[in-house]
Amino acid sequence: MTYQWDWSALWDNLPLLLDGISTTVVATAASMAASLILGLPVALLRLSRPAVSWLATVYIELFRNLPLLVLVFWVFTALPLIIGYTFSPLASGIIALSLNLTAFIAEIYRAGITSIAPGQSHAALALGMTRVQLYKRIILPQAVVRVLPALGSMWVSLFKDTSILAVIGVAELMYQGRMVATDTYRPLEIFTGVAIIYYLLAYPQALGVNWLYHRLQVQE
Amino acid sequence: MASGHYVWDFGAFFRNLPFLLSGMEITILVSLLAMVVGSVVGLFVALARLSKFRPLRMAAAFYVDFLRATPLLVQLVWVFFALPILVGHSLTPIVAGVATLGAYSGAYLAEIFRAGILSVASGQRHAALALGMTGAQVLRRIVLPQAVTRMLPPIASTFITLVKDSSLVSIISVAELMWAAQSLASVSLRPVEVLTGTGLLYVALTYPLSLVAELARRRFLAV
Repeated sequence: MTYQWDWSALWDNLPLLLDGISTTVVATAASMAASLILGLPVALLRLSRPAVSWLATVYIELFRNLPLLVLVFWVFTALPLIIGYTFSPLASGIIALSLNLTAFIAEIYRAGITSIAPGQSHAALALGMTRVQLYKRIILPQAVVRVLPALGSMWVSLFKDTSILAVIGVAELMYQGRMVATDTYRPLEIFTGVAIIYYLLAYPQALGVNWLYHRLQVQE
Repeated sequence: MASGHYVWDFGAFFRNLPFLLSGMEITILVSLLAMVVGSVVGLFVALARLSKFRPLRMAAAFYVDFLRATPLLVQLVWVFFALPILVGHSLTPIVAGVATLGAYSGAYLAEIFRAGILSVASGQRHAALALGMTGAQVLRRIVLPQAVTRMLPPIASTFITLVKDSSLVSIISVAELMWAAQSLASVSLRPVEVLTGTGLLYVALTYPLSLVAELARRRFLAV
């Protein structure tokens, strides 16, 4: 059996798919920004005394081991019933992605902070710096550089993960693809096109992250 | 903020626990089958990436890059809704789900296998070849026994990711845990408790696995 390809369905609806890409980028950027900020207090809590650090451990283990799809549905369907407030699908999606990503980023921050040789902290404290000064002047400037490649990897997988938001009706690229595929009765061309678009967008990002890994390799 | 306090009631969740647990069995089955498929795919792709034949190397590299740079959901929908049109033969949801999860994790496993094989110092390979061993013998007797322990921690992580990702096959209506949870959430009119409980069921499955992965990491990757 030979299939008659007809790519006009894809070209004619490209504007709709491009609209979807902009929502994909918005969801990725917003979730990344929220997680970059929220990850720091979680990481610092995890590194503090055991009496409170277990809170961060529970959060991190819970959200790293929970499937993203479950979390997305939970935030979209269950959370509004609990708090009595309904978020838009996009806002629900960003909340779910951020809850998930914050757990991973907190661990990246923690690894970055603990990778700084302890001698440096001792020296700084011996010089009379406060803990805040120690973090601001000595640890964070070095840790930031070390965690950059891992944060880049997180960005790339987040970019792909935003496709899951299609299931709660966020009009990102995957959702638009499904709509167009249904409207045109051309799922083969449309879904092939959507996959290629994702590849063309995500692969250069992955190459950039690889470059970061090589460029920022730490020599001690 | 509108309403007041939500009154929790896990009754419906516990009454229907057997239904959810049967979904969990499918989750475990799908994950295990996909891991087997992924390991076979991964081994062949890893060997192809290490081959002397350039076109084969490039094809394998493209496979890895493409499957890792596109969302799993897109691949799943493509295999279930688009591929049947191309080949003129439809797939059952579970076959489509296992095949996609296998192809996807195969790309990640290929890189783990390749890194593991390359981590064995090349002098050992040369020495074995000089002793007259064939390529297959070198791989079986010299490289794999050493590479396997180094590969175990990342393989364990891949499996955990696979268990979590298997929830996506609910979208093509494979009756696994997430699918069971969604049907129960709408029938029971208790979506909060059902989804919360389901989340905890997933964590009960994946958290012990991540403890094992962490142990493997300490045991085998100790510096």
